[in-house]
Amino acid sequence: MKQNNMVAMILAGGRGSRLHDLTNKVAKPAVSYGGKYRIVDFPLSNCANSGIDVVGVLTQYESVLLNSYVSMGRRWGLDAKGSGVYVLPPREKADANLDVYRGTADAISQNIDFIDTYNPEYLLVLSGDHIYKMNYSKMLDYHKENKADATIAVIEVPMREASRFGIMNANEDGVIYEFEEKPEKPKSNLASMGIYIFDWKQLRKLLVADMKNPDSNHDFGKDIIPTLLNDGKRLLAYKFKGYWKDVGTIDSLWEANMDLLDKKNELDLSDPTWKIYTEDVTTLPHYVGAEADIKRAFITQGCVIEGEVKNSVLFTGAKVGAGAKIIDSVLMPGVSVEEGAVVTRALVADGVKIGKEAVVGSADSEHIELVAKRVKGVE
Amino acid sequence: MAKAFGIVNTSGNHIWVEGLESHRTIGAFSFLGRYRVIDFPISNFSNSDIEQIKVFVRRKPRSLIDHLGTGRHYSINSKRGKLQVLFSQNSSENDIYNTDIAAFYENIDCIERMHEQYVIITPNFMVFTQNFDTLLQTHIESEADITMLYHSVDNAKEMYLNCDLLNLNKQKGVLSIEKNRGTAKNRNISMDTYVMKKDLFVELIKKARKISSMYTLAQIVNKECEELDIRGVAHRGYFATITDFKSYYDANLSLIDGKTAASLFDEDWPIYTRTNDSSPTQYFEDSSVKYSVVSNGCLIEGTVENSVIGRGCVIKKGAVVKNSVILPGALIGENAHIENQVVDKRAKIIRAKEVIAPPEKPGYVRREDTL
Repeated sequence: MKQNNMVAMILAGGRGSRLHDLTNKVAKPAVSYGGKYRIVDFPLSNCANSGIDVVGVLTQYESVLLNSYVSMGRRWGLDAKGSGVYVLPPREKADANLDVYRGTADAISQNIDFIDTYNPEYLLVLSGDHIYKMNYSKMLDYHKENKADATIAVIEVPMREASRFGIMNANEDGVIYEFEEKPEKPKSNLASMGIYIFDWKQLRKLLVADMKNPDSNHDFGKDIIPTLLNDGKRLLAYKFKGYWKDVGTIDSLWEANMDLLDKKNELDLSDPTWKIYTEDVTTLPHYVGAEADIKRAFITQGCVIEGEVKNSVLFTGAKVGAGAKIIDSVLMPGVSVEEGAVVTRALVADGVKIGKEAVVGSADSEHIELVAKRVKGVE
Repeated sequence: MAKAFGIVNTSGNHIWVEGLESHRTIGAFSFLGRYRVIDFPISNFSNSDIEQIKVFVRRKPRSLIDHLGTGRHYSINSKRGKLQVLFSQNSSENDIYNTDIAAFYENIDCIERMHEQYVIITPNFMVFTQNFDTLLQTHIESEADITMLYHSVDNAKEMYLNCDLLNLNKQKGVLSIEKNRGTAKNRNISMDTYVMKKDLFVELIKKARKISSMYTLAQIVNKECEELDIRGVAHRGYFATITDFKSYYDANLSLIDGKTAASLFDEDWPIYTRTNDSSPTQYFEDSSVKYSVVSNGCLIEGTVENSVIGRGCVIKKGAVVKNSVILPGALIGENAHIENQVVDKRAKIIRAKEVIAPPEKPGYVRREDTL
C-alpha cells in the first residue's frame, strides 16, 4: 500500500478510573465494547482503513493485556512490509531517568526517536478510548488544503454540555482563535475530539522545548495547543459528523452499547466498507434454545441463550440459562447467568457468574449497576 | 517435532452433492454457519501439531483457495509449517481417470520430498475431530503397515451409502474394503483416513498406476489387505459424511442439538476458520428465534426455527425460516416462508412467498439466485 507520510500515535495510557472495577486490571482502551470489540479496536481499525501503516500505541496504566493485545498488528491488517503496530510504554534512556509519561505531550516527546525513524511529514495523535469511525486521510486532505500548522477534529455537542469539554473557538473559515478547557461559559459548542494532525518538524521543535519547561504540564490541551496559538500558528478545526462517544463512566459505557440496538444507529458496525477489526476468537456461532425469547438484542458468537433477552448486548461466550431474564443490560465476555436469574439495567463484568434465581439491578435505578463479582444464587 | 505430514484428500468421483458442488469442492462447503467442511481436517492436523499439510483440489478451486489463504488462521507456524494446495489436471475425456491416485501421482515429487517419515491422509468431505498424534502413536506402537480409522454405525442401510466399509477380523485387522451397498445395519464405515510410512504411500501410488488408471487409494489398499498388516482403529464422537445433498442438510441440522454439538466441539480442540470481521448479530423488535444456530453479522426481524443461519444473512419482517440451512449472505424477504431448504450463498428470496419442500426431500435455492 502506498504510504501517506503520516504516522499515528494512539494515547492509551489512561486508567479510566470512573469505570471502577472494569479498569482495575486493564486500561480503559482494552475495555470490551459492542459484543466482540475492545475500545482500542476503533482507532486502530480507523488507522488501517485510512491507509496509515505505522501506529504507535502509548501505554502506561495496567498495560500487560493492552500491550499484548495491540502488538498483534495483523488483527487490523497492519502487518504488511513497512507497516506495524508498536507498543510504546515508558522506558529507561541513557541520558535521562526512567520516567512515566508526565502528560499526553510528554508521551510523544519521549518517543521522538521512534517517530524519527519513519521521518514522517505529518503526525496524527489519537486517543485510545473513543468509539467512532473516521477517515483520517480526509482530515489530512483538509489539513493540507488549508495549509494548516495543526488541525484538530471537533464535534458539535449540545451547548448545555459544552462546559464538560475542551472547546475550540473558531472563525467561520474554521481557523481556531482560542481554546478553552472546560469553560464555565462556553462561546461555542465545538468540542475537541482529541484528534490532532501536526506538521511533524514543527511539533518536534515544540516538544523538545516543552520537555525542558519546568512550568509545563506536558499536555496537548493545556500546553501545546495554547503555545501554537500564542505563536500565531494556523490551527484549523475539522468538523466531524457522525457517532462519537467517550465512554468515561459505567452509565455511558452501557449507553454506548445500547445505542447499537437502534435500527438506524449511526455507528453501523455492519458497514462492509469500514469494518472494525478485532481479535479472532475460535468459538461456535451462537446458539438459541427452544425456549429462548430474544427481542432487540446484539449477540455475538459463542453465546448460548436458553432464556429471555430483551434490549441487551451479549458479548463473546455469554450464557443465559433457561428461564433467566436479561433486560436492558450488558453481559461482558464469558458472563454466565444461571437458570431463573433476572438481570435488569446492569452491566456485568467479564467472566462474572450470576447464580440460580439471583436478582441483579432494578428497572427504576438511576444508575446502571456494575456487577463485578460473583452473585450467589439459590443452591 | 511431528513425524508425519498431512494430506487432505478429495472425494471420489462417485460422490456428487447436488446444487452446492456445482460451485465449489465439498471442502469449501459452508458448514454450521461460520465454518467450511475443510476446517475440520485442517484443525485436526494443526491441533495434532502436524503443520505440513497438503490439500488436494480437483475442480472449482476458487472458493477453497479464498478460504484457505495463507493458512495463518489455522494456527500453523508460518515459518515451520506450510499449507500447500495441490491441483491436479483433470482429464477431460473421461472422469474415470480423475482419481486421487492420479492426483497424488501428478504431484509425487512434492510427496517424495517430504522429510517426515509418516503420512496421514484424511478426506475433505467428512466432519469429525480426531487427535492424529494419538493415532500416529497407536500406529507406530502396533507396528502395522497401515492404520485406518473407522466409525461403527447401526444405520448403514439407509445412510453412508456412498462410503466404503471395512471388514475387520476380531483383532481389528482389515480383511477388505468394500462399498457400502446398504445390505446391513451394523457396519464399520471407513473414514478414508490412513496412517502409513511415506515410503509405503509412494510405493502404493506407483503400484496402483501400474495396475489400473482407474485405481483409487481405497482400492489399492484393499488389494494389499492380504500382503500388508492393515489395522482398523475405531473413532468415537461425532461423525458425519457429506456425500449427497441430504447428508449435507442433515449434518448441519444435527448440530443444533447441544449434546450432539458437544460430541464434536471441545474447548481444548478448537476448530479454526477464517474470520470475516462481521459485527455481532442484531435482533429487532419482532424477531422470534428458537432452537437455531446463528452466525455473526445477521439482521433478524423475522421468525427462525430449527435452522442454521450463516454469516451476514438478513431475515426480514414477517419472514419464517424453518428446518433450513441458510448459507452466508442470503436474504429472506418480507413475509417469505422457507421450509426444509438449503439456501445457497447470497441468494435472495424476495418475490416468492412460499418455498417449502417435504422434510424427507429438502429443497435447494441456487447461489446468488433471486426468487
